[in-house]
Amino acid sequence: MSAAITDTVTRTPETHEEEPFSVRLERNRLALWLFIFSELFLFGGLLAARFYLWGGERPELNQVLGLIATSILLVSSFFMARSETAIAHGDRKAFLRNLLITAALGTLFLVGVVGVEWQGEVAPSDGKWGAIFFGMTGIHALHVLSGVIFLLIVWNNGRKGHYSAERHWGVEACAIYWHFVDVAWVFFYPALYLIGSPVHIG
Amino acid sequence: MENQSAVESKKQAAYRQGVYVFLGLVLLTALEFGVAVWFDGAAVLLFIIALLKTGLIVQYFMHIYRLWREEEH
Repeated sequence: MSAAITDTVTRTPETHEEEPFSVRLERNRLALWLFIFSELFLFGGLLAARFYLWGGERPELNQVLGLIATSILLVSSFFMARSETAIAHGDRKAFLRNLLITAALGTLFLVGVVGVEWQGEVAPSDGKWGAIFFGMTGIHALHVLSGVIFLLIVWNNGRKGHYSAERHWGVEACAIYWHFVDVAWVFFYPALYLIGSPVHIG
Repeated sequence: MENQSAVESKKQAAYRQGVYVFLGLVLLTALEFGVAVWFDGAAVLLFIIALLKTGLIVQYFMHIYRLWREEEH
């Protein structure tokens, strides 16, 4: 993991010969996308559980907060893309700045969902409402948290000069992961906040 | 010098593309919210919008096409 993040040289176990960077890059990309594909089953399962248990209803959630949290994650994806573009063109300052903004927005999203929305109307003990709401937002928040940690590790490595315009797989991997977290929310947001008739709980 | 300006113009084009994709996502999110209000949370429409947003992110932010691109050895 750390080797992948810092783009250090790896050797094949059989021959101990250096592999070309391009070979490792292609292999790393495939491995990461397979990981993302496996994650789809987790998020897809949660989404299926939501429609099975809630059907055409949903709890009355804070709509303003939901829209703000969605917007924050969307803006964070924009800055992540800018960060990757910056390092791909050798602009280290912009890369680091945009990465930090992304991490800050990710943290803000966590505060909005975990710090505010979790203290709202739905409680974990509210049967199917609590199970689905806390299951979906909890698993997603865990991914956001790990994404923020990933971002900070990449930022720290970038600060030390580990990445260049030609070699920045760690940044690319972090960007793909972060955007995936955004994609998961693209489906969770309507499923939790918009689809179905609102039901007052408690 | 010429090479530097070519890199700079490529970078600006990439930044511009990011802005366009972001604006597309903002528009789709606004549309999503509008659909939820006007059509009383129509699931099919909302999922179509979510798929469109996913397409934009996967293609332009996650660069899925790089999976099929052969890197120079």
